[in-house]
Amino acid sequence: MIEAVDLTKRYGEKLAVDSVSFTVRPGRVTGFLGPNGAGKSTTMRMILGLDRPTAGRVTVNGKQYADHRAPLLEVGALLEAKAVHTGSSARDHLRALAATHGIGRKRVEEVIELTGLTDVAHKRVGGFSLGMGQRLGIAAAMLGDPKTLVLDEPVNGLDPEGVKWVRTMVRYLAGEGRTVFLSSHLMSEMAITADDLVVIGRGRIITTGTVQDIITASTTGSVRVRSPRAGELAETLRRDGVTISSSEPDRLDVTGIDAPAIGELAAQRGIPLHELTPVSASLEEAFMTLTAGEVEYHSEAVGDPDTRQMQEAGR
Amino acid sequence: MTAVTTEPGRAPSVPRDAHVTFLGELRAEWIKFTAVRSTPWILGVTVLVMIGIAALSAWSFSFLLDNPEETGGAAAFPADFDWAAQAAGAGYIMAQIVVAVLGVIVVTGEYTTGQIRSTLAAVPRRLPVLAAKGVVVTIASFVTGLLGVALGALVALPLLSSHDITLDLSRDGTLLSLLGAPLYLVAVALFSLGVGTMLRHTAGGIAVAVLIFFVLPMIWPNLAPDFFQDTSPYLPSIAGARLMEGVDPDAVLSPWQGYGVMLAWAALALLGGAVLLRRRDA
Repeated sequence: MIEAVDLTKRYGEKLAVDSVSFTVRPGRVTGFLGPNGAGKSTTMRMILGLDRPTAGRVTVNGKQYADHRAPLLEVGALLEAKAVHTGSSARDHLRALAATHGIGRKRVEEVIELTGLTDVAHKRVGGFSLGMGQRLGIAAAMLGDPKTLVLDEPVNGLDPEGVKWVRTMVRYLAGEGRTVFLSSHLMSEMAITADDLVVIGRGRIITTGTVQDIITASTTGSVRVRSPRAGELAETLRRDGVTISSSEPDRLDVTGIDAPAIGELAAQRGIPLHELTPVSASLEEAFMTLTAGEVEYHSEAVGDPDTRQMQEAGR
Repeated sequence: MTAVTTEPGRAPSVPRDAHVTFLGELRAEWIKFTAVRSTPWILGVTVLVMIGIAALSAWSFSFLLDNPEETGGAAAFPADFDWAAQAAGAGYIMAQIVVAVLGVIVVTGEYTTGQIRSTLAAVPRRLPVLAAKGVVVTIASFVTGLLGVALGALVALPLLSSHDITLDLSRDGTLLSLLGAPLYLVAVALFSLGVGTMLRHTAGGIAVAVLIFFVLPMIWPNLAPDFFQDTSPYLPSIAGARLMEGVDPDAVLSPWQGYGVMLAWAALALLGGAVLLRRRDA
Protein backbone atom coordinates (compact mmCIF):
# COMPACT_ATOMS: atom_id res chain seq x y z
CA MET A 1 0.00 0.00 0.00
CA ILE A 2 1.35 3.39 -1.02
CA GLU A 3 -0.37 6.57 0.11
CA ALA A 4 0.62 10.00 -1.15
CA VAL A 5 -1.02 13.07 0.37
CA ASP A 6 -0.54 16.50 -1.21
CA LEU A 7 2.91 15.44 -2.30
CA THR A 8 4.80 18.38 -3.78
CA LYS A 9 8.30 18.82 -5.15
CA ARG A 10 9.72 22.09 -6.34
CA TYR A 11 13.10 22.43 -8.04
CA GLY A 12 13.86 26.13 -7.96
CA GLU A 13 11.19 27.84 -10.03
CA LYS A 14 9.83 24.61 -11.47
CA LEU A 15 7.03 22.74 -9.75
CA ALA A 16 7.83 19.13 -10.73
CA VAL A 17 5.11 17.53 -8.63
CA ASP A 18 2.15 19.64 -7.61
CA SER A 19 0.12 18.54 -4.60
CA VAL A 20 -0.38 14.98 -5.75
CA SER A 21 -2.59 12.57 -3.77
CA PHE A 22 -3.24 8.94 -4.62
CA THR A 23 -3.43 5.47 -3.12
CA VAL A 24 -1.90 2.33 -4.58
CA ARG A 25 -3.64 -0.79 -3.29
CA PRO A 26 -2.27 -4.26 -2.65
CA GLY A 27 -3.23 -7.16 -4.88
CA ARG A 28 -3.46 -4.98 -7.97
CA VAL A 29 -1.13 -3.64 -10.62
CA THR A 30 -1.34 0.13 -10.64
CA GLY A 31 0.01 1.98 -13.63
CA PHE A 32 1.54 5.41 -13.26
CA LEU A 33 0.92 6.94 -16.64
CA GLY A 34 2.09 10.22 -18.03
CA PRO A 35 4.20 11.79 -20.73
CA ASN A 36 7.93 12.25 -20.22
CA GLY A 37 8.65 15.03 -17.76
CA ALA A 38 5.25 14.72 -16.08
CA GLY A 39 6.76 14.03 -12.64
CA LYS A 40 6.58 10.22 -12.51
CA SER A 41 10.22 9.60 -11.61
CA THR A 42 10.30 12.45 -9.10
CA THR A 43 7.23 11.03 -7.37
CA MET A 44 8.82 7.58 -7.25
CA ARG A 45 12.06 8.98 -5.84
CA MET A 46 10.05 10.68 -3.10
CA ILE A 47 8.31 7.37 -2.31
CA LEU A 48 11.77 5.87 -1.72
CA GLY A 49 13.04 8.75 0.39
CA LEU A 50 15.68 9.69 -2.19
CA ASP A 51 14.18 13.11 -2.83
CA ARG A 52 12.73 15.12 0.02
CA PRO A 53 9.20 16.42 -0.65
CA THR A 54 8.83 20.22 -0.59
CA ALA A 55 5.42 19.65 0.99
CA GLY A 56 3.05 16.80 1.72
CA ARG A 57 4.03 13.25 2.52
CA VAL A 58 4.08 9.74 1.20
CA THR A 59 4.02 6.47 3.15
CA VAL A 60 4.64 2.88 2.14
CA ASN A 61 2.93 0.15 4.12
CA GLY A 62 2.01 2.72 6.76
CA LYS A 63 5.42 4.31 7.33
CA GLN A 64 7.71 6.75 5.62
CA TYR A 65 10.26 4.76 3.66
CA ALA A 66 13.26 5.77 5.77
CA ASP A 67 11.48 4.68 8.97
CA HIS A 68 11.35 1.04 7.93
CA ARG A 69 13.83 -1.27 9.68
CA ALA A 70 14.13 -3.42 6.59
CA PRO A 71 13.34 -1.24 3.57
CA LEU A 72 14.31 -3.95 1.06
CA LEU A 73 11.70 -6.29 2.56
CA GLU A 74 9.02 -3.61 2.34
CA VAL A 75 9.72 -2.08 -1.04
CA GLY A 76 11.58 -3.36 -4.04
CA ALA A 77 12.49 -0.57 -6.40
CA LEU A 78 13.63 -0.28 -9.97
CA LEU A 79 14.48 3.37 -10.30
CA GLU A 80 16.43 3.58 -13.50
CA ALA A 81 18.30 1.05 -15.53
CA LYS A 82 21.79 0.50 -14.19
CA ALA A 83 21.79 2.35 -10.90
CA VAL A 84 24.90 0.25 -10.49
CA HIS A 85 28.63 0.92 -10.40
CA THR A 86 29.82 0.11 -13.91
CA GLY A 87 32.98 -1.57 -12.62
CA SER A 88 31.09 -4.08 -10.49
CA SER A 89 29.71 -7.44 -11.59
CA ALA A 90 25.98 -8.07 -11.40
CA ARG A 91 26.49 -10.69 -8.69
CA ASP A 92 28.69 -8.43 -6.54
CA HIS A 93 26.16 -5.62 -6.86
CA LEU A 94 23.40 -7.90 -5.60
CA ARG A 95 25.63 -9.38 -2.87
CA ALA A 96 26.41 -5.89 -1.56
CA LEU A 97 22.74 -4.88 -1.47
CA ALA A 98 21.80 -8.17 0.19
CA ALA A 99 24.56 -7.74 2.78
CA THR A 100 23.03 -4.51 4.11
CA HIS A 101 20.04 -6.54 5.33
CA GLY A 102 21.89 -9.72 6.21
CA ILE A 103 20.31 -11.54 3.26
CA GLY A 104 22.46 -14.52 2.21
CA ARG A 105 24.12 -15.75 -0.97
CA LYS A 106 21.30 -18.19 -1.63
CA ARG A 107 18.76 -15.43 -2.22
CA VAL A 108 21.22 -13.61 -4.50
CA GLU A 109 21.46 -16.71 -6.68
CA GLU A 110 17.67 -17.07 -6.62
CA VAL A 111 17.05 -13.59 -8.02
CA ILE A 112 19.82 -14.06 -10.60
CA GLU A 113 18.06 -17.19 -11.79
CA LEU A 114 14.64 -15.56 -11.56
CA THR A 115 15.68 -12.73 -13.88
CA GLY A 116 17.60 -14.93 -16.30
CA LEU A 117 20.99 -13.36 -15.54
CA THR A 118 22.82 -16.59 -14.71
CA ASP A 119 25.11 -16.45 -17.73
CA VAL A 120 26.16 -12.83 -17.27
CA ALA A 121 26.14 -12.50 -13.47
CA HIS A 122 29.94 -12.51 -13.29
CA LYS A 123 30.34 -9.83 -15.95
CA ARG A 124 30.93 -6.16 -15.35
CA VAL A 125 27.70 -4.17 -15.46
CA GLY A 126 29.37 -1.52 -17.62
CA GLY A 127 29.07 -3.85 -20.60
CA PHE A 128 25.38 -4.64 -20.07
CA SER A 129 22.72 -3.75 -22.62
CA LEU A 130 19.79 -1.64 -21.46
CA GLY A 131 17.67 -4.78 -21.31
CA MET A 132 20.15 -6.67 -19.11
CA GLY A 133 20.44 -3.58 -16.91
CA GLN A 134 16.65 -3.66 -16.48
CA ARG A 135 16.76 -7.33 -15.54
CA LEU A 136 19.47 -6.58 -12.95
CA GLY A 137 17.34 -3.74 -11.60
CA ILE A 138 14.39 -6.10 -11.25
CA ALA A 139 16.64 -8.69 -9.59
CA ALA A 140 17.70 -6.04 -7.06
CA ALA A 141 14.06 -5.10 -6.49
CA MET A 142 13.16 -8.75 -5.78
CA LEU A 143 16.06 -9.35 -3.34
CA GLY A 144 14.06 -8.76 -0.17
CA ASP A 145 10.94 -10.56 -1.46
CA PRO A 146 9.17 -7.23 -0.87
CA LYS A 147 5.51 -6.58 -0.16
CA THR A 148 5.50 -3.59 -2.48
CA LEU A 149 7.18 -3.01 -5.82
CA VAL A 150 7.93 0.39 -7.31
CA LEU A 151 9.11 0.05 -10.89
CA ASP A 152 10.02 3.07 -12.98
CA GLU A 153 9.63 2.28 -16.69
CA PRO A 154 10.40 -1.43 -16.20
CA VAL A 155 9.89 -2.40 -19.85
CA ASN A 156 12.06 0.39 -21.18
CA GLY A 157 14.73 -1.15 -23.43
CA LEU A 158 13.43 -4.70 -23.16
CA ASP A 159 12.85 -6.83 -26.23
CA PRO A 160 9.28 -8.12 -26.81
CA GLU A 161 10.08 -11.30 -24.92
CA GLY A 162 11.34 -9.26 -21.97
CA VAL A 163 8.26 -7.03 -22.06
CA LYS A 164 6.05 -10.09 -21.85
CA TRP A 165 8.18 -11.46 -19.04
CA VAL A 166 7.80 -8.27 -16.97
CA ARG A 167 4.06 -8.21 -17.65
CA THR A 168 3.63 -11.83 -16.56
CA MET A 169 5.78 -11.28 -13.49
CA VAL A 170 4.01 -8.16 -12.21
CA ARG A 171 0.61 -9.79 -12.73
CA TYR A 172 1.85 -12.84 -10.83
CA LEU A 173 3.23 -10.71 -7.98
CA ALA A 174 0.01 -8.74 -7.67
CA GLY A 175 -1.85 -12.05 -7.71
CA GLU A 176 0.13 -13.00 -4.60
CA GLY A 177 -1.35 -9.96 -2.86
CA ARG A 178 1.57 -7.58 -3.32
CA THR A 179 1.29 -3.93 -4.22
CA VAL A 180 2.71 -3.19 -7.66
CA PHE A 181 3.20 0.40 -8.85
CA LEU A 182 4.81 0.79 -12.23
CA SER A 183 5.28 3.82 -14.39
CA SER A 184 5.24 4.05 -18.14
CA HIS A 185 4.68 6.51 -20.90
CA LEU A 186 3.47 3.62 -23.09
CA MET A 187 -0.30 3.61 -22.91
CA SER A 188 -0.72 0.41 -24.89
CA GLU A 189 1.47 -1.49 -22.44
CA MET A 190 -0.49 -0.14 -19.46
CA ALA A 191 -3.78 -1.16 -21.04
CA ILE A 192 -2.60 -4.79 -20.99
CA THR A 193 -0.69 -4.83 -17.72
CA ALA A 194 -2.45 -2.57 -15.24
CA ASP A 195 -5.70 -2.88 -13.29
CA ASP A 196 -5.72 0.68 -11.98
CA LEU A 197 -4.24 3.87 -13.32
CA VAL A 198 -2.90 7.07 -11.88
CA VAL A 199 -2.57 9.50 -14.79
CA ILE A 200 -0.25 12.44 -14.31
CA GLY A 201 0.58 15.42 -16.51
CA ARG A 202 2.77 18.41 -15.70
CA GLY A 203 3.04 17.33 -12.08
CA ARG A 204 -0.71 17.14 -11.47
CA ILE A 205 -2.99 14.13 -11.21
CA ILE A 206 -5.32 14.14 -14.19
CA THR A 207 -7.39 11.16 -13.24
CA THR A 208 -7.32 7.93 -11.23
CA GLY A 209 -9.44 4.81 -11.52
CA THR A 210 -9.58 1.42 -13.17
CA VAL A 211 -8.26 1.15 -16.71
CA GLN A 212 -11.75 0.31 -18.02
CA ASP A 213 -13.43 3.26 -16.29
CA ILE A 214 -10.86 5.67 -17.63
CA ILE A 215 -11.27 4.44 -21.19
CA THR A 216 -15.06 4.57 -20.96
CA ALA A 217 -15.12 8.01 -19.35
CA SER A 218 -12.95 9.60 -21.97
CA THR A 219 -14.45 7.84 -24.98
CA THR A 220 -16.91 9.61 -27.20
CA GLY A 221 -17.86 6.44 -29.06
CA SER A 222 -17.97 7.14 -32.76
CA VAL A 223 -19.27 4.96 -35.59
CA ARG A 224 -17.54 4.52 -38.91
CA VAL A 225 -19.97 4.20 -41.84
CA ARG A 226 -19.23 3.50 -45.49
CA SER A 227 -21.89 3.93 -48.11
CA PRO A 228 -21.93 4.74 -51.86
CA ARG A 229 -24.66 7.29 -51.00
CA ALA A 230 -22.79 8.83 -48.06
CA GLY A 231 -23.98 12.36 -48.74
CA GLU A 232 -27.64 11.33 -48.70
CA LEU A 233 -27.08 9.32 -45.52
CA ALA A 234 -25.43 12.30 -43.84
CA GLU A 235 -28.55 14.41 -44.56
CA THR A 236 -30.73 11.70 -43.02
CA LEU A 237 -28.62 11.46 -39.86
CA ARG A 238 -28.22 15.20 -39.30
CA ARG A 239 -30.03 16.21 -36.12
CA ASP A 240 -29.31 17.69 -32.71
CA GLY A 241 -26.37 16.13 -30.90
CA VAL A 242 -25.03 14.29 -33.91
CA THR A 243 -21.75 15.31 -35.46
CA ILE A 244 -20.58 13.97 -38.77
CA SER A 245 -17.19 14.25 -40.35
CA SER A 246 -15.95 12.78 -43.57
CA SER A 247 -12.41 12.08 -44.63
CA GLU A 248 -13.22 10.15 -47.81
CA PRO A 249 -16.14 10.54 -50.28
CA ASP A 250 -17.86 7.30 -49.24
CA ARG A 251 -16.99 7.45 -45.53
CA LEU A 252 -18.64 9.10 -42.52
CA ASP A 253 -17.44 9.26 -38.90
CA VAL A 254 -20.52 9.75 -36.79
CA THR A 255 -20.83 10.52 -33.10
CA GLY A 256 -23.93 11.08 -31.01
CA ILE A 257 -25.94 8.18 -32.42
CA ASP A 258 -25.20 4.48 -32.10
CA ALA A 259 -24.64 1.92 -34.84
CA PRO A 260 -28.07 0.14 -34.65
CA ALA A 261 -29.89 3.46 -34.98
CA ILE A 262 -27.82 4.38 -38.04
CA GLY A 263 -28.57 0.97 -39.54
CA GLU A 264 -32.33 1.37 -38.95
CA LEU A 265 -32.41 4.84 -40.51
CA ALA A 266 -30.41 3.70 -43.54
CA ALA A 267 -32.75 0.73 -44.04
CA GLN A 268 -35.86 2.97 -43.87
CA ARG A 269 -34.45 5.15 -46.66
CA GLY A 270 -33.11 2.18 -48.64
CA ILE A 271 -29.53 3.45 -48.47
CA PRO A 272 -27.03 0.58 -48.86
CA LEU A 273 -24.25 0.35 -46.21
CA HIS A 274 -20.84 -1.16 -46.97
CA GLU A 275 -19.54 -0.80 -43.43
CA LEU A 276 -21.01 0.00 -40.03
CA THR A 277 -18.34 -0.16 -37.29
CA PRO A 278 -18.55 1.15 -33.73
CA VAL A 279 -15.13 2.59 -32.87
CA SER A 280 -14.22 2.45 -29.18
CA ALA A 281 -11.28 4.53 -28.13
CA SER A 282 -8.14 2.79 -26.99
CA LEU A 283 -6.38 3.78 -23.80
CA GLU A 284 -3.92 5.53 -26.04
CA GLU A 285 -6.63 7.83 -27.40
CA ALA A 286 -8.09 8.29 -23.92
CA PHE A 287 -4.64 9.28 -22.71
CA MET A 288 -4.17 11.73 -25.54
CA THR A 289 -7.52 13.32 -24.78
CA LEU A 290 -6.72 13.52 -21.07
CA THR A 291 -3.25 14.91 -21.39
CA ALA A 292 -3.95 17.33 -24.24
CA GLY A 293 -2.49 20.60 -23.02
CA GLU A 294 -0.58 18.86 -20.24
CA VAL A 295 2.31 17.66 -22.33
CA GLU A 296 5.38 19.68 -21.65
CA TYR A 297 7.09 19.16 -24.95
CA HIS A 298 4.94 18.91 -28.03
CA SER A 299 6.64 17.29 -30.94
CA GLU A 300 6.86 19.59 -33.91
CA ALA A 301 5.53 18.35 -37.19
CA VAL A 302 8.33 17.08 -39.34
CA GLY A 303 8.85 19.64 -42.08
CA ASP A 304 8.36 18.70 -45.70
CA PRO A 305 11.54 18.15 -47.75
CA ASP A 306 11.36 21.59 -49.36
CA THR A 307 11.24 23.45 -46.08
CA ARG A 308 14.07 21.34 -44.67
CA GLN A 309 16.23 22.08 -47.69
CA MET A 310 15.52 25.77 -47.31
CA GLN A 311 16.41 25.62 -43.61
CA GLU A 312 19.63 23.82 -44.37
CA ALA A 313 20.50 26.26 -47.16
CA GLY A 314 19.88 29.11 -44.75
CA ARG A 315 22.49 27.85 -42.28
CA MET B 1 14.36 -16.97 -19.58
CA THR B 2 10.72 -16.44 -20.51
CA ALA B 3 9.29 -18.45 -17.66
CA VAL B 4 8.41 -16.69 -14.45
CA THR B 5 10.36 -18.80 -12.06
CA THR B 6 8.88 -17.63 -8.79
CA GLU B 7 7.63 -21.15 -8.33
CA PRO B 8 4.77 -21.33 -5.89
CA GLY B 9 5.69 -23.47 -2.93
CA ARG B 10 9.35 -22.55 -3.00
CA ALA B 11 9.76 -19.88 -0.38
CA PRO B 12 12.32 -17.19 -1.15
CA SER B 13 15.43 -17.49 1.03
CA VAL B 14 14.94 -14.21 2.83
CA PRO B 15 15.21 -14.37 6.63
CA ARG B 16 12.03 -13.05 8.23
CA ASP B 17 13.91 -10.84 10.63
CA ALA B 18 16.37 -9.48 8.05
CA HIS B 19 16.99 -5.78 8.56
CA VAL B 20 19.60 -3.09 8.13
CA THR B 21 22.52 -3.34 10.55
CA PHE B 22 25.75 -1.36 10.61
CA LEU B 23 27.77 -4.56 10.33
CA GLY B 24 25.74 -5.53 7.28
CA GLU B 25 26.29 -2.12 5.70
CA LEU B 26 30.00 -2.45 6.49
CA ARG B 27 30.09 -5.79 4.66
CA ALA B 28 28.21 -4.22 1.76
CA GLU B 29 30.73 -1.40 1.48
CA TRP B 30 33.59 -3.86 1.66
CA ILE B 31 32.06 -5.97 -1.12
CA LYS B 32 31.61 -2.88 -3.30
CA PHE B 33 35.14 -1.70 -2.52
CA THR B 34 36.73 -4.97 -3.60
CA ALA B 35 34.26 -5.67 -6.43
CA VAL B 36 35.68 -2.87 -8.53
CA ARG B 37 38.79 -4.47 -9.98
CA SER B 38 40.82 -1.29 -10.10
CA THR B 39 40.89 -0.92 -6.30
CA PRO B 40 43.18 -3.85 -5.36
CA TRP B 41 45.33 -2.94 -8.35
CA ILE B 42 45.75 0.66 -7.31
CA LEU B 43 46.60 -0.30 -3.74
CA GLY B 44 49.06 -2.98 -4.88
CA VAL B 45 50.86 -0.53 -7.12
CA THR B 46 50.95 1.97 -4.25
CA VAL B 47 52.76 -0.54 -2.06
CA LEU B 48 55.25 -1.17 -4.88
CA VAL B 49 55.84 2.55 -5.33
CA MET B 50 56.45 2.92 -1.58
CA ILE B 51 58.98 0.09 -1.70
CA GLY B 52 60.69 1.70 -4.67
CA ILE B 53 60.94 5.08 -2.98
CA ALA B 54 62.28 3.45 0.21
CA ALA B 55 65.01 1.77 -1.85
CA LEU B 56 65.85 5.03 -3.61
CA SER B 57 66.02 6.92 -0.33
CA ALA B 58 68.24 4.28 1.27
CA TRP B 59 70.53 4.29 -1.75
CA SER B 60 70.72 8.07 -1.65
CA PHE B 61 71.43 8.10 2.12
CA SER B 62 74.13 5.53 1.55
CA PHE B 63 75.69 7.63 -1.20
CA LEU B 64 75.57 10.66 1.03
CA LEU B 65 77.33 8.89 3.89
CA ASP B 66 79.90 7.37 1.52
CA ASN B 67 80.90 10.74 0.05
CA PRO B 68 81.09 13.19 2.95
CA GLU B 69 83.50 15.57 1.16
CA GLU B 70 81.03 16.17 -1.73
CA THR B 71 77.73 16.02 0.12
CA GLY B 72 78.59 17.21 3.60
CA GLY B 73 77.77 13.71 4.85
CA ALA B 74 75.82 13.23 8.04
CA ALA B 75 76.76 16.65 9.33
CA ALA B 76 73.85 18.24 7.48
CA PHE B 77 71.40 16.06 9.43
CA PRO B 78 70.37 16.10 13.10
CA ALA B 79 72.53 13.89 15.28
CA ASP B 80 69.70 11.53 16.10
CA PHE B 81 68.41 11.28 12.50
CA ASP B 82 66.76 7.90 12.09
CA TRP B 83 68.16 6.91 8.69
CA ALA B 84 66.43 3.54 8.44
CA ALA B 85 62.98 4.69 9.54
CA GLN B 86 63.10 7.79 7.35
CA ALA B 87 64.04 5.74 4.27
CA ALA B 88 61.34 3.13 4.96
CA GLY B 89 58.52 5.68 5.23
CA ALA B 90 59.63 8.12 2.51
CA GLY B 91 57.06 6.75 0.03
CA TYR B 92 54.12 8.28 1.88
CA ILE B 93 54.50 11.43 -0.22
CA MET B 94 53.47 9.55 -3.35
CA ALA B 95 51.08 7.19 -1.57
CA GLN B 96 49.02 10.09 -0.24
CA ILE B 97 47.94 11.05 -3.76
CA VAL B 98 46.65 7.57 -4.47
CA VAL B 99 44.90 7.35 -1.14
CA ALA B 100 43.32 10.78 -1.67
CA VAL B 101 42.01 9.69 -5.06
CA LEU B 102 40.66 6.50 -3.51
CA GLY B 103 38.91 8.37 -0.69
CA VAL B 104 37.23 10.62 -3.24
CA ILE B 105 36.13 7.98 -5.76
CA VAL B 106 34.76 5.60 -3.14
CA VAL B 107 31.84 8.00 -2.96
CA THR B 108 31.91 10.02 -6.19
CA GLY B 109 32.09 6.80 -8.24
CA GLU B 110 28.63 6.00 -6.87
CA TYR B 111 27.26 9.37 -7.95
CA THR B 112 28.70 9.15 -11.47
CA THR B 113 27.24 5.69 -12.07
CA GLY B 114 23.91 6.11 -10.27
CA GLN B 115 24.87 3.38 -7.78
CA ILE B 116 24.24 5.87 -4.95
CA ARG B 117 20.47 5.57 -5.44
CA SER B 118 20.64 1.78 -4.98
CA THR B 119 22.86 2.29 -1.94
CA LEU B 120 20.66 4.91 -0.28
CA ALA B 121 17.44 3.02 -1.06
CA ALA B 122 18.88 0.04 0.85
CA VAL B 123 20.11 2.19 3.75
CA PRO B 124 17.78 5.21 3.73
CA ARG B 125 19.13 6.68 6.96
CA ARG B 126 22.23 7.45 4.91
CA LEU B 127 24.77 8.23 7.65
CA PRO B 128 25.70 4.56 8.18
CA VAL B 129 26.75 4.55 4.51
CA LEU B 130 29.28 7.33 5.10
CA ALA B 131 30.46 5.74 8.36
CA ALA B 132 30.95 2.34 6.71
CA LYS B 133 32.85 3.92 3.82
CA GLY B 134 35.00 5.66 6.43
CA VAL B 135 35.85 2.34 8.08
CA VAL B 136 36.64 0.73 4.72
CA VAL B 137 39.01 3.47 3.53
CA THR B 138 40.62 3.57 6.99
CA ILE B 139 41.44 -0.13 6.84
CA ALA B 140 42.54 0.00 3.20
CA SER B 141 44.81 3.02 3.61
CA PHE B 142 46.30 1.84 6.92
CA VAL B 143 47.11 -1.62 5.57
CA THR B 144 48.54 -0.18 2.36
CA GLY B 145 50.73 2.23 4.33
CA LEU B 146 51.83 -0.43 6.79
CA LEU B 147 52.75 -2.88 4.02
CA GLY B 148 54.56 -0.13 2.14
CA VAL B 149 56.63 0.85 5.19
CA ALA B 150 57.34 -2.71 6.37
CA LEU B 151 58.41 -3.94 2.93
CA GLY B 152 60.18 -0.63 2.35
CA ALA B 153 62.23 -1.26 5.50
CA LEU B 154 63.09 -4.77 4.32
CA VAL B 155 64.47 -3.34 1.08
CA ALA B 156 66.15 -0.30 2.66
CA LEU B 157 68.02 -2.03 5.47
CA PRO B 158 70.43 -4.11 3.33
CA LEU B 159 71.33 -0.95 1.41
CA LEU B 160 72.24 0.81 4.66
CA SER B 161 73.91 -2.12 6.42
CA SER B 162 77.42 -1.08 5.35
CA HIS B 163 77.01 2.00 7.57
CA ASP B 164 75.98 -0.05 10.60
CA ILE B 165 72.49 1.38 10.33
CA THR B 166 69.77 -0.85 11.74
CA LEU B 167 66.17 -0.43 12.65
CA ASP B 168 65.87 -0.28 16.43
CA LEU B 169 62.20 -0.32 17.34
CA SER B 170 62.98 0.36 20.99
CA ARG B 171 64.64 3.62 20.06
CA ASP B 172 62.73 6.77 20.96
CA GLY B 173 60.51 7.85 18.05
CA THR B 174 61.38 5.02 15.65
CA LEU B 175 58.15 3.10 15.99
CA LEU B 176 56.22 6.36 15.78
CA SER B 177 57.87 7.41 12.54
CA LEU B 178 57.24 3.96 11.06
CA LEU B 179 53.57 4.00 12.07
CA GLY B 180 53.40 7.62 10.99
CA ALA B 181 52.97 6.88 7.30
CA PRO B 182 49.98 4.50 7.67
CA LEU B 183 48.33 6.84 10.20
CA TYR B 184 48.93 9.85 7.98
CA LEU B 185 47.40 8.01 5.00
CA VAL B 186 44.29 7.17 7.05
CA ALA B 187 43.73 10.87 7.73
CA VAL B 188 44.25 11.70 4.04
CA ALA B 189 41.70 9.05 3.04
CA LEU B 190 39.09 10.25 5.56
CA PHE B 191 39.55 13.89 4.60
CA SER B 192 39.17 13.00 0.92
CA LEU B 193 36.06 10.92 1.65
CA GLY B 194 34.51 13.98 3.27
CA VAL B 195 35.47 16.20 0.33
CA GLY B 196 34.12 13.65 -2.18
CA THR B 197 30.82 13.40 -0.27
CA MET B 198 30.45 17.18 -0.28
CA LEU B 199 31.35 17.69 -3.95
CA ARG B 200 29.85 14.44 -5.41
CA HIS B 201 32.14 14.99 -8.36
CA THR B 202 35.27 12.93 -9.09
CA ALA B 203 37.44 15.48 -10.86
CA GLY B 204 36.51 18.27 -8.45
CA GLY B 205 37.10 16.09 -5.40
CA ILE B 206 40.50 14.90 -6.61
CA ALA B 207 41.53 18.45 -7.51
CA VAL B 208 40.67 19.72 -4.03
CA ALA B 209 42.42 16.82 -2.28
CA VAL B 210 45.60 17.14 -4.35
CA LEU B 211 45.58 20.90 -3.87
CA ILE B 212 45.37 20.55 -0.10
CA PHE B 213 47.85 17.70 0.40
CA PHE B 214 50.32 18.34 -2.37
CA VAL B 215 50.22 21.92 -3.60
CA LEU B 216 49.34 23.89 -0.47
CA PRO B 217 52.25 22.62 1.67
CA MET B 218 54.67 23.65 -1.09
CA ILE B 219 53.32 27.19 -1.49
CA TRP B 220 51.85 28.31 1.81
CA PRO B 221 54.94 28.21 4.06
CA ASN B 222 56.98 30.10 1.45
CA LEU B 223 54.69 33.10 1.29
CA ALA B 224 56.28 36.06 3.00
CA PRO B 225 53.60 37.61 5.25
CA ASP B 226 53.69 36.44 8.86
CA PHE B 227 50.16 35.13 8.58
CA PHE B 228 51.31 32.31 6.28
CA GLN B 229 54.36 31.55 8.39
CA ASP B 230 52.27 31.41 11.56
CA THR B 231 49.48 29.26 10.15
CA SER B 232 51.44 26.82 8.03
CA PRO B 233 52.12 24.33 10.88
CA TYR B 234 48.35 23.86 11.07
CA LEU B 235 47.85 22.88 7.43
CA PRO B 236 46.60 19.27 7.42
CA SER B 237 49.57 17.87 5.52
CA ILE B 238 52.26 19.77 7.44
CA ALA B 239 50.62 19.07 10.80
CA GLY B 240 50.22 15.36 9.98
CA ALA B 241 53.77 14.98 8.72
CA ARG B 242 55.00 15.80 12.23
CA LEU B 243 54.27 12.13 13.04
CA MET B 244 57.10 11.00 10.79
CA GLU B 245 59.58 13.73 11.63
CA GLY B 246 60.15 12.55 15.15
CA VAL B 247 60.83 14.67 18.21
CA ASP B 248 61.82 18.21 17.28
CA PRO B 249 62.05 20.80 20.07
CA ASP B 250 61.78 23.67 17.55
CA ALA B 251 58.50 22.48 16.05
CA VAL B 252 55.29 24.29 16.98
CA LEU B 253 53.35 21.05 17.35
CA SER B 254 54.41 17.73 18.87
CA PRO B 255 53.93 14.68 16.60
CA TRP B 256 50.65 13.69 18.27
CA GLN B 257 49.40 17.28 18.39
CA GLY B 258 50.14 17.55 14.70
CA TYR B 259 48.24 14.39 13.95
CA GLY B 260 45.38 15.62 16.11
CA VAL B 261 45.18 18.78 14.00
CA MET B 262 45.16 16.71 10.83
CA LEU B 263 42.38 14.44 12.17
CA ALA B 264 40.40 17.54 13.11
CA TRP B 265 40.57 18.66 9.48
CA ALA B 266 39.38 15.21 8.38
CA ALA B 267 36.54 15.32 10.92
CA LEU B 268 35.50 18.74 9.60
CA ALA B 269 35.38 17.45 6.01
CA LEU B 270 33.39 14.37 7.08
CA LEU B 271 30.98 16.51 9.08
CA GLY B 272 30.36 18.69 6.03
CA GLY B 273 29.83 15.56 3.95
CA ALA B 274 27.44 14.06 6.52
CA VAL B 275 25.28 17.18 6.76
CA LEU B 276 24.99 17.47 2.97
CA LEU B 277 24.41 13.74 2.51
CA ARG B 278 21.46 13.89 4.91
CA ARG B 279 20.00 17.04 3.40
CA ARG B 280 20.38 16.71 -0.31
CA ASP B 281 18.29 14.79 -2.81
CA ALA B 282 20.12 11.74 -4.09
